[in-house]
Amino acid sequence: MLTIKDLKANVEDKNILKGLNLDIKPGEIHAIMGPNGAGKSTLGNVLSGREGYEVTGGTAELEGTDLLDLDPEERARLGLFLAFQYPVEIPGVSNLEFLKASVDSVRAAQGKDPLDSVSFLKLARAKCKLVNLDQSFLKRGVNEGFSGGEKKRNEIMQMMLLEPKICILDETDSGLDIDALQVVAEGVNSLRDPNRSFIIVTHYQRLLDYIVPDYVHVLADGKIVKSGGKELALELEEKGYGWLEDAAENGAA
Amino acid sequence: MTDNAEIDRQIGREYEAGFITDVESETLAPGLNEDTVRFISKKKGEPEWLLEWRLKAFNAWKEMTPPNWAQVQHLDIDFQDVSYYSEPKSMEDRPQSLDEVDPELLATYEKLGIPVHEQAALAGVAVDVVFDSVSLGTTFRETLAESGVIFMPISEAVHEHPELVQKYMGTVVPQKDNYYAALNSAVFSDGSFVYIPKGVRCPMELSTYFRINEEKTGQFERTLIIADEASHVSYLEGCTAPMRDENQLHAAVVELVAHDDAEIKYSTVQNWYPGDSEGKGGIYNFVTKRAVAHTNAKVSWTQVETGSAITWKYPSCILKGDNSVGEFYSVALTNNFQEADTGTKMIHLGKNTKSTIITKGISAGKSQNSYRGLVRMGPGAKGARNYTQCDSLLIGDKCGAHTFPYIESKNPSAIVEHEATTSKVSDEQLFLCQQRGIDTEKAVSMIVNGFCKEVFKELPMEFAVEAGKLLEVSLEGSVG
Amino acid sequence: MTDFHNGLLAVNDEANSPLSAVTALNSSGADSFLAQEIPTRKTEAWKYTSLFNLTSNEEGYGRLAETHGAAGLDGLATIPALDAQRLVFVNGQYSKELSSNTEHKNVVRFSQADDAQKSIIADNLGSAIEQEKHVFGALNNAITTDGVLVHVGKNEQLKTNIQITHITTPQAKAFTVPARLLIVLETGAQATVVEHFASTDDEQNCFVNAITEAKVGANARLNHYRLQLIQEGSIQIGGVHIDLDRDANYDSFQLGLGAKIVRNDINVNHNVGGSHCELVGVYLPQNKQLIDFHSNIEHKVANCTTSEVFRGIMADKSKAVFNGRIHIHPDAQKTLAELSNKNLLLSNDATINTKPELEIYADDVRCAHGATIAQLDEQARFYLQSRGISAAEADVMLSFGFINELLENLELDAIRNLIRPILAQRFGRDEELMKHIG
Repeated sequence: MLTIKDLKANVEDKNILKGLNLDIKPGEIHAIMGPNGAGKSTLGNVLSGREGYEVTGGTAELEGTDLLDLDPEERARLGLFLAFQYPVEIPGVSNLEFLKASVDSVRAAQGKDPLDSVSFLKLARAKCKLVNLDQSFLKRGVNEGFSGGEKKRNEIMQMMLLEPKICILDETDSGLDIDALQVVAEGVNSLRDPNRSFIIVTHYQRLLDYIVPDYVHVLADGKIVKSGGKELALELEEKGYGWLEDAAENGAA
Repeated sequence: MTDNAEIDRQIGREYEAGFITDVESETLAPGLNEDTVRFISKKKGEPEWLLEWRLKAFNAWKEMTPPNWAQVQHLDIDFQDVSYYSEPKSMEDRPQSLDEVDPELLATYEKLGIPVHEQAALAGVAVDVVFDSVSLGTTFRETLAESGVIFMPISEAVHEHPELVQKYMGTVVPQKDNYYAALNSAVFSDGSFVYIPKGVRCPMELSTYFRINEEKTGQFERTLIIADEASHVSYLEGCTAPMRDENQLHAAVVELVAHDDAEIKYSTVQNWYPGDSEGKGGIYNFVTKRAVAHTNAKVSWTQVETGSAITWKYPSCILKGDNSVGEFYSVALTNNFQEADTGTKMIHLGKNTKSTIITKGISAGKSQNSYRGLVRMGPGAKGARNYTQCDSLLIGDKCGAHTFPYIESKNPSAIVEHEATTSKVSDEQLFLCQQRGIDTEKAVSMIVNGFCKEVFKELPMEFAVEAGKLLEVSLEGSVG
Repeated sequence: MTDFHNGLLAVNDEANSPLSAVTALNSSGADSFLAQEIPTRKTEAWKYTSLFNLTSNEEGYGRLAETHGAAGLDGLATIPALDAQRLVFVNGQYSKELSSNTEHKNVVRFSQADDAQKSIIADNLGSAIEQEKHVFGALNNAITTDGVLVHVGKNEQLKTNIQITHITTPQAKAFTVPARLLIVLETGAQATVVEHFASTDDEQNCFVNAITEAKVGANARLNHYRLQLIQEGSIQIGGVHIDLDRDANYDSFQLGLGAKIVRNDINVNHNVGGSHCELVGVYLPQNKQLIDFHSNIEHKVANCTTSEVFRGIMADKSKAVFNGRIHIHPDAQKTLAELSNKNLLLSNDATINTKPELEIYADDVRCAHGATIAQLDEQARFYLQSRGISAAEADVMLSFGFINELLENLELDAIRNLIRPILAQRFGRDEELMKHIG
């Protein structure tokens, strides 16, 4: 599905990713954990093509297509979805209008006709219900005045609507209470599919109680320094990240 | 340096620079015609081209009318009742250095705290002192010459570096630019000339100290600063005048040229006599200051305006070169019947040019204080940015604070942000201070100081420390 | 006095109002108009707006329209889903066919006024406008022959909205529409008035000189909409002049699409105390259009508040001018006044000139203004792109949102629904979807 080889990236001329390798097969859930500043969010931003993130080496291919030369919207249309850590507010642009434009463009890329407004509205309302968002949110500006939890649920709803191939959740759990966390997890779990993969970027093991990963990777200093099964997450929770950073440094030296 | 103490002195104190120097002067009888222009030119022994230049300006001026758009009201100026030239008699023999200057004159500056002797403990500052229509001389000329820096009265530069003066004078502020600039171009007497060669960082702060002394005399100085490629200079000017009942005219022109990669920092502490508490007397200060910034150059204007009965002044930047930067930091304090209409123009022509405007207007008494500014993004100003913040503080309910920002853009990628706020020193704030044992005057000064902090920090502090007295005298005492 | 002056005054040559108040106004207006020079670019208030297209028109605008039929104009005359008592004028002439069938006691043309209404007109007409400061206000005073009075009595809440629509069509010769509206709300009264200027889609040759005066009484509340939707070629110069009594509330929304010259002067006087003024405005010029809003809020007394928000998007070779002046007089303590003006330029040839002005003569006030000229938000654009929306479409959506944000607070859904499709058309959005958003 997604193959990342020796990915290196700079932010403001500073080396953040320093040769990251990751191979994700269809249907797999990979958790990426690591200390603050390790480059976790950078990974999501680089893969989705955010400006200011300069790729200096390596490749990232989605089903054989090189992502790194594409515009952000082209990547999205190929099926890459980033659930933002801090979704931006866009006053004046209604959520509904935004969602329809998004779904239409992704459908168009798949050679499908746009949904008519009525069916779309029906669909959007149904998805709202799934993530426990009141339908009035559809009429409000994109993320405008949403609470932190509402913003995250809105992200999951978009994921449901767009049915992407690879979903990257960038610290979606940060700052969420248990109830909201469960809603997010249920949303993700309902989307689990043999043809869909997930990258769950998180700082805390808690989320992984609800979304059980196939693999856990530790990202430190711009590289994956350790990989393992779901039990690695528990180990990290217990021991913290310090021992791994030391290990990484020693390894490097 | 404690800012509090300075502000303290500014609010509610008598003007301390108001004494008159008793020297015998030769003063041209009031009146303005072609002969006046010829007289000044001859007095300075100027070459023919400069006389022609002056006459051209004079002829243009005759056809012009005084601007009336500023938010100031003053009596019509009778330009025939002003004397356009005055110099102390002792200066007639052209003393070769400041050491030869009449001690009475130098005492004037000592009294004001200006370091005119090189042996004074102010090693880092070179000073040009201008008294009415003549420069008394500059300090540290030789030290500066070692690094190729030219710093001398413009009247001397005309003789010693005519090629530079002729090349640059009037290129930034043309003779016919505006009414007062035309007048200045016709009758300018003295001022400073600075040239910083390529790649040179001027080894010390340069400063000019302007003093109007003679009665009924106008001062029309002209300053020209050229920073050649990749050079750097910091310059400070200060101004005072005696207390006199009639209004006196000051119409200066300052031109700055910052070549590629050069940087000019120009600071002004303007403390002309503001008039008395009844609004009688004071300087009419009509000044045209403008800079051209070439590629990657930076020009920064900082001004602390506390004096003058009328201030009409808009130090501006033409951001001609790509990536050039313009800054304007201003504190303008008006009290009693003072009126200030001041601000800046940032003309963005080059790509990725940037400008910042931070102004703090403080109005007290029955004064009127206006910010007037223009930010223009030309069609070629791709990616240009401006940020403007204009804050006004009112002290008392008889004064006025006004904001007139003109914003023009013809480029879709340019970004302009303008904000203005107005506040007062509130009774609640004062009460809190009083309740904590701080008297009202002190409290006001603290609040005003806090209000101005952003601008004060732009003043060259190392200069301020070393030349503390100069700055102090310029700042202190102005409003009674 | 110039040919231009006389040319325009000729509009009123043969008219003869039965109301002495109107004829008196005509004569003082003519005197004032003749005494004033036509503004040039050297006139500060007209620094950025040239009247060349008005003054240089060879045949001049000094005549009324020849035809004013109602045929085919039904669609323009109504605002869908707006429950309103409707008065419709075509090329300046009242159209019975297009107006509401029934009469309404609160709204009447000057020419049809009964004695009580005549006396209200006599007491109020021309009193809110300083004609010596507004040359086109003086012109309107000089040439207005009939107008509309909206009057709401003490403590009366007008349930029906009032809609005044002016439709123009192209004529053989350029012509002038002198439109006048007088709104008088007595103490505690409440009304919603929609002024609506529309036209056929053809190239227009009208000069619409529309002046609205409102006297908002103590504790009264006026909701005022002024929608200028006249098409290309037209010249529209006029304004609104509002007098606010104690605790009065004036809530207004202005929309201007731009034309050959569009100039609106908005003057609000806080005259007594405790009044509040809420101004929202949108301007959207395109092609080679020009639009100019000059607002002037006079805080003459203490304890009044003003909140003003104007936004504009300039496309193609268009130009917009915004001048927002807030004037706090010496005794206007405890004033709260805020002004925000935001602009987007969409093309290399578009121009914006903005000048937010504060003139403050009282110390215990809180005033702030802000003006920006900016690009669309990069983060928002990336967010949209990350959801598969193209950069170009994201720009359209964000531009739409920039204006739409101001529409969300409009009290009348019908107005929002009228404007949204226009915006949608301008910014290429799905009209069908809009219906679900409202």
